[in-house]
Amino acid sequence: MSKAASFSAAIETLPLGSAYQGLYSWVATVDHKRIGILYLLTTLVFFVMGGIEALLMRIQLARPNSTFLSPDAFGQLFTMHGTTMIFLVVMPTLIGLANYLVPLMIGARDMAFPRLNALSFWLLPCGGLLLHFSLLAGGAPAVGWFSYAPLSETAYATTSGVDYWTMSLLILGVGSVAASINLIATILTQRAPGLTIRRLPLFVWMIFINSFLVILALPALNAAIVMLFIDRHLSTHFFTPAHGGSAVLWQHFFWAFGHPEVYIMALPAFGIISEVVPVFARRPIFGYEFVAASTVAIALLSFGVWAHHMFAVGLGHPMDLFFAATSMMIAVPTGIKVFAWSATLWGGSIRLTTAMLFAVAFLVQFTIGGLSGITFAVVPIDWQVTGTYYLVAHFHYVLFGGTFFAVFAGLYYWFPKITGRMLSERLGKLNFWMALIGFNTAFFVQHFLGLMGMARRVYTYPDLPGWALLNMISTIGAFLLGASVLVLLWNIIASLRHGEPAGDNPWNAWTLEWATTSPPPAQNFDRVPPIRSRRPLWDLTHPENPDPIVGGIGACDGFELEKNRIGIVSFLITEGVFFLMLILAYLYYNNRAMNGPTPTGMLNPQRTGIYTLCLLASSFTIWLADRKLRAGKASTFRWLLALTIVLGFAFIFGQGREYLRIFHAGILVNSNLFATTFFTLTGFHGLHVLVGLIALVILMGLALAGDFKEGRIEAVKSIGLYWHFVDAVWLVVFLIIYLRLLL
Amino acid sequence: MTTRHFLISTWDWNPWVIAICFTSIVIYGTRHQFHFTRKAGWLLAGLAVFFLTLVSPVDALANGYLFSAHMLQHLLLLLVVPPLILLSLPSTPVSVRFQSGRWQWLNWIWRHPVATWILGVGGMWLWHAPALCNAAVTNEWIHRLQYASLLLMGFAFWWPITGPWYSQRLSPLAGMIYLFSACLGCTVLGIIITFAPVEVCSIYLHPVDRLGILPIIQDQWGLTPAKDQLLGGLLMWVPACLIYFCGILGLFAHWHGDSGNSAVVPQSTSTKASKEQSHVR
Amino acid sequence: MRASFSPIFDPASSQAAAISDLFKLVLIICAVILLIIVSMIGISLIRFRQRAGAEEPRQRFGNRKLEIIWTVGPILIIFWLFALTALGMRQTDAPGNREPDLIVIGHQWWWEIRYSHTCVVSANEIHLPVGKKWLVHLESADVIHDFWVPALARKIQLIPGQTNRIWLAADATGTYAGECAEYCGAQHSWMRFSVIAESPAAFDAWLREQETSAAIPSSDSTQDGLKIYQTLTCINCHSIRGVSVAANAAPDLTHLSDRQILGAGVLSNTETNLFSWLKNPQAFKPGCYMPNLKLTDAQVGALTCYLESLK
Repeated sequence: MSKAASFSAAIETLPLGSAYQGLYSWVATVDHKRIGILYLLTTLVFFVMGGIEALLMRIQLARPNSTFLSPDAFGQLFTMHGTTMIFLVVMPTLIGLANYLVPLMIGARDMAFPRLNALSFWLLPCGGLLLHFSLLAGGAPAVGWFSYAPLSETAYATTSGVDYWTMSLLILGVGSVAASINLIATILTQRAPGLTIRRLPLFVWMIFINSFLVILALPALNAAIVMLFIDRHLSTHFFTPAHGGSAVLWQHFFWAFGHPEVYIMALPAFGIISEVVPVFARRPIFGYEFVAASTVAIALLSFGVWAHHMFAVGLGHPMDLFFAATSMMIAVPTGIKVFAWSATLWGGSIRLTTAMLFAVAFLVQFTIGGLSGITFAVVPIDWQVTGTYYLVAHFHYVLFGGTFFAVFAGLYYWFPKITGRMLSERLGKLNFWMALIGFNTAFFVQHFLGLMGMARRVYTYPDLPGWALLNMISTIGAFLLGASVLVLLWNIIASLRHGEPAGDNPWNAWTLEWATTSPPPAQNFDRVPPIRSRRPLWDLTHPENPDPIVGGIGACDGFELEKNRIGIVSFLITEGVFFLMLILAYLYYNNRAMNGPTPTGMLNPQRTGIYTLCLLASSFTIWLADRKLRAGKASTFRWLLALTIVLGFAFIFGQGREYLRIFHAGILVNSNLFATTFFTLTGFHGLHVLVGLIALVILMGLALAGDFKEGRIEAVKSIGLYWHFVDAVWLVVFLIIYLRLLL
Repeated sequence: MTTRHFLISTWDWNPWVIAICFTSIVIYGTRHQFHFTRKAGWLLAGLAVFFLTLVSPVDALANGYLFSAHMLQHLLLLLVVPPLILLSLPSTPVSVRFQSGRWQWLNWIWRHPVATWILGVGGMWLWHAPALCNAAVTNEWIHRLQYASLLLMGFAFWWPITGPWYSQRLSPLAGMIYLFSACLGCTVLGIIITFAPVEVCSIYLHPVDRLGILPIIQDQWGLTPAKDQLLGGLLMWVPACLIYFCGILGLFAHWHGDSGNSAVVPQSTSTKASKEQSHVR
Repeated sequence: MRASFSPIFDPASSQAAAISDLFKLVLIICAVILLIIVSMIGISLIRFRQRAGAEEPRQRFGNRKLEIIWTVGPILIIFWLFALTALGMRQTDAPGNREPDLIVIGHQWWWEIRYSHTCVVSANEIHLPVGKKWLVHLESADVIHDFWVPALARKIQLIPGQTNRIWLAADATGTYAGECAEYCGAQHSWMRFSVIAESPAAFDAWLREQETSAAIPSSDSTQDGLKIYQTLTCINCHSIRGVSVAANAAPDLTHLSDRQILGAGVLSNTETNLFSWLKNPQAFKPGCYMPNLKLTDAQVGALTCYLESLK
């Protein structure tokens, strides 16, 4: 594009890509670039809120025996700070950046599912507002961001804060999962020709792997909080030990989500660094394959380390040792990355722009955080330092000094692309130094506080030697860090108005997003450059010394890479994890004898068996219907579809009768843990059947109206897959509950 | 009896095992003029694990004493021995003969990775049904059936991943999903066994002390039946998953190791390319 | 109170000493790794700064050998750390089939201490004979708490519905600070306790004294105090052996005056502090379950007198 054209494009800072104008066009947008910007703006607001919550806490902790905040207010603050920063800031910022950048980096026009993208975004402010509404409705939750039971049960958490927490997390979780499904489908199906999987920029690869983490981990959280919610409102006892429940099960379920969650917050940051460091060292990333493989290793291992958050629970030495082993193992792939980034610097030609400064600080700070993490993997050490400020220091080093510094690096790197203007380097360096000094002052001393015996989540502390001084230092650092954020905001605002126009590729970078204007036009690319290696723009500008060609043809042989299929399969994976958690809860609680209703007393396997056969038959009929539709036999298709619906309703009818019979016997969801787990599992399954039936009925309506365009046939296949899944889950449920296999 | 004495004296020199190992080495060696290649190394490794699993003190422990030792045998027979042996098999020359005639049914295996997956994961679950688990310990024939079936199911499971005929292997991404989902399958089983307060294999609750080693196990090593079941569940879970994990990383390395071979995008994909181009536009 | 910069690194038991040594070793390993990485980065930043007008540097894509080294190297370090971990854990294995010497029950926000084989029930203070290894059972009456006395032992959670076990021992006399390390509600910060290790003789003497019932009030004010205790709802939560033992929702007060702290650490146990506490506990520990009974100064005075007499 000519210089003049790119200049004028830069003046008009943000693209108008839709039929609507003005503010409403932003509300109604499905353009991934606008959605990405919306994500970033929203998370910025929550970041400031979370930051203020932190600063308030630091004021309270600056002096011993301070009365600035009441203990209850402090409890709400640290809960909200943690929840806000994790679910409303870090996760959505990374998803927002991914949203903006992934289609550009793969040479696509937009995400695979633009409207789903918009939905994912809007669930963020919705969930955030719902969470904060608790402040007006009796008080924010005050049980910590991981909400251990039974403290979070109604006996101890008497306000509705925890309820708002659970509801908002469910909503936010749906948004995250939807965004991740979208990213998976986009990366698999929307790549420009020549961009094989092995040529993906590392940011895209890490977002790709990260998305799998999200779809596998979030449903575990959803299952846990659904059970907590049921406990709180239907008087059940999943997690109340006084009535047979298990407080430890909450910990297992939560951390089964919670640990992958911290990698969900780290992997995209690794991706950002993997883009920034090479560009400003003027070298390709050292050892792409090892970095890519280590990402897969981290993702896989992250599911096997969760109980390292529970070393103090007393699970027994064998368990502790196994989890210690896996936790230590996961350090290896992370170390590989750190070495790779460091080696990229070595022998390069390093330009210390603000982005690069943040990236280098990330390297050191994340390493410190990672190493303190290793100390936790050594179980006896964990037994001393878990639950103390040493732990608080560790996770702030990895999440703020790590992930957030990476986000700042990404911001300074990609701001020119997003807005068409450069951020001021002068203000940027001021921002950087204040952030660096502020962050390290605030958090390094906290390692010592932990070692000196200060527990976490305390609203005040006794005047022991050294505690007051270190806490005061930490508070001062925190305020400096807060001030650095103000400098950042000022930089953003000033640069938006007076910043130097950026041009297409101000950093001489090499990935596809730099091959279009800044900001990109609505369709992203007028023409995608030829792609033969991992750095298409390097090849263009260095025809005499192109990168070696990697990754032959498109990587997925024998795979039908159709986006709707990917979407529905990813969705079914999340549902599978959700049901798996409910089934595990069932198995856990029904492994022992208990008073009250029992399966043999309460259930009738023969009758339910008949209804089960109906459901399984309906799976067969819909499969057949799909085949007939593809063969063009529309009438047969309609009959089979109708039969499927009838069989589905027969199943629901049967379940309904069973429920009524059980209620008549005086058995309710809170009668005992068998009843609780039975109703929860079969109830959610029934809900899924109903939703499936609604979809089938809609399909029937379309079929009767003869409204079957080409895309609709794909819809039948997708709904069919969902239906098969629901039936498969029922088969497992039937075998476990009614036929008592495994028990 | 001390641990050292136990380790020395409880080797079970099973003639069948020795015969199988010996015959395999001889057959393989004569086919390859006893050249020591990397594939031969895989064979030796596989046979060594096979041998140790069934002959070393692990076997003595698994035979009615320790549930965890029994699990270890399962893991090795299902997840370690088959892939090693498969990796040792020669590729192309044999495949031609196997494409036709009476070996054609083998084609079925790689065309249906779902089936082999079910065999591999299902086999693990199957032998943990309490009735079958107990029967295998008490009845010698069922015990042998168990070993044989584990090996066979292992071979079936690993064929699409490490089978000798490269063209019939699963594509790397598909292979990674195949292994990851299998890992999930055995994780769920491992979790259930680890956390279940009831005994999966009740026969191990009251071991019959034929060899006089019960005191060592329970007192010296501290392996009570409860701890034993816990350990068994953990073995099923963590090391098993690590094996799948290594498989996944191996696939990844293989995939990336296939360095870019063609400078020109082949004809078949250029139509796909132009279709995608219009889609992008 | 034994004053040390870091009780974790100033251990007073073999268990804590083992952990302390392990910690120091691991920290050294971590420091070395950090130094290597920071040096690599630091040297790069200096040596390879972009010079004005420089061309693009030589484009290196990796070095397989190096990458394998920095994969295998950390794996070996991990094996070493794992061995250290497994060995370190053997020190702390507490058996399940023995009678405990001490039972600790966590409440929101105080510690109930029961000495096995005696009738002694106390709160927020553990006395221990030096040199003896005690088996402690830990339970919870409400939510999850975490027992942590860094100079002496590992941390362990107190989980309702489950009994956890640790060894507790002290090699030297002294007073060791402990606290709750798992957020358990509003006053989690003031759920502190102390472990007082004494010579076996001193401990036996102390225990015998604790086994006696509460001192019978002799003077007027102490008798008034007792009457107030019995009539103004105190007995619904507290117990005093010899007077009332029905309740255990709040600390046992039989030998209150002998203890060093009040309110699980929020105040030290002096007469003036006790007076202020009884006047309005919510002023010191807002949210705790002892309400402000709005007693008159005279009533508080009498009550203080009585409680002070319970040595």
